[in-house]
Amino acid sequence: MKGLRSIGSWFLPVLPESRVAVLRTVLYLFVIIDIHVFVRDPIPLSRHPELYQPLMIERVLHLPPPSVPLTITLYLILIVGCLVAACNVLPRLAGGVVAAAFTWWTAIGMSYGKVDHDHLALVVALWVLPTVGVIADRWRSTQRSAQAGWALKSIQICVVFTYFLSALTKIRSGGWSITSWPESSILLWAIIRRPHGLGQFLLPYPELLHLMQWLSFGAELTAIVVLWLRGRALLAAAIFWMGFHVFTLAILYIHFAPTAICWLAFAPLERLGPWLRRVKARRWQRAGWRPTRHPVPVLRDNAVNSGG
Amino acid sequence: MGERVRGISRASYAWRIAATLLGIGLLLNGSLRMSDDVWPFGPLSQYAFSPADNETVVITRVEGLLADGRRIDLPLRVETAGISRAEIEARIPQITADPSLLRSVTDGWSSRHRKEPALLQVWLVQDQTRLVDGRVGQTRLVELATWELSR
Repeated sequence: MKGLRSIGSWFLPVLPESRVAVLRTVLYLFVIIDIHVFVRDPIPLSRHPELYQPLMIERVLHLPPPSVPLTITLYLILIVGCLVAACNVLPRLAGGVVAAAFTWWTAIGMSYGKVDHDHLALVVALWVLPTVGVIADRWRSTQRSAQAGWALKSIQICVVFTYFLSALTKIRSGGWSITSWPESSILLWAIIRRPHGLGQFLLPYPELLHLMQWLSFGAELTAIVVLWLRGRALLAAAIFWMGFHVFTLAILYIHFAPTAICWLAFAPLERLGPWLRRVKARRWQRAGWRPTRHPVPVLRDNAVNSGG
Repeated sequence: MGERVRGISRASYAWRIAATLLGIGLLLNGSLRMSDDVWPFGPLSQYAFSPADNETVVITRVEGLLADGRRIDLPLRVETAGISRAEIEARIPQITADPSLLRSVTDGWSSRHRKEPALLQVWLVQDQTRLVDGRVGQTRLVELATWELSR
């Protein structure tokens, strides 16, 4: 029973709700960027019904085939929904609408033959963020909850699984062999196919490419330990993985921005609200006036000064 | 302003645990057994296969003959043709069987390049690069399909 409880508290740690409030703002604004920069093809693709091959999710839910009016409607719903949800207003309703609309939008983008894998954490994040419900005081909330902890932990698990599961897939696709992918010509293949990045300069060095494959495979396979890291070790892991994404961007022109942004679920975003308040208070102090509606607690220096 | 902790009911707790276990189960099942079809629970298969060191690497392109006699590359990107290379590559068998499916590229390209002369004919081609012992070898151009646009 005690074991069960500790497993439960691992999946549902009690964490600050303000972290969820800040993460909502960031991720809903990111979705607006995403539909313009990353999954930007559903509207043009919906002009080609002859190329549409629905994914299982679209067949099971009997979703109608994409048309231009449908994709434009989804686009408008996403813009409005994200702006509302980013303000932490109507978190369940607006968040739920964005989750459903973005999942459909992204599924459409992946129903024409090419399926990308950088959206797992973001899609899951959009589904779990609304479950935290209303957060009083939003960014300034001082409340903690297991509801917030579960949402954050779910996103963290998906971020880490994006790496770990891709390592499993590499083992599977190589005939359940650990060595076949790291020893293959995959990076050479990828650089030839995407001849825009700095990878061009690595083409004459296949041995170096194999070494890079071993390193990335090892990192992906062990990524799961990140879930148990804290403090500086966690920061080091986050910096390593950001570096990894910058590296693949530089040599292959492949970004994993939707996964990278979800790393923020690990960050102490709850410090942002108080920090902003301190900055504001300091600015008011320097300007020699105080806000009329929000009394600022009297600091020791002020008390001395006001006496003189 | 002390820190408060919001309570959680037994039911809330239970469905969250159940959803987590279900989600992890679906993800593992997708990666170990399923295909891209079960997105978002499919295998994370981008760049996950193992090309041999004598593999042929292909770059699929579409070339077009303009009314002024120029034969140019029609870049397969959303901004230039309304469709990207991966989508065309995924439909190569259908396109070779019915080259008029290249209309998806010509329509997209023409609507974004209205000042260019009309397209008369397009070709689906591949730059095929041989790997030799894991090093870059010769590249040759192969024509897969061609389609003449009717005016």
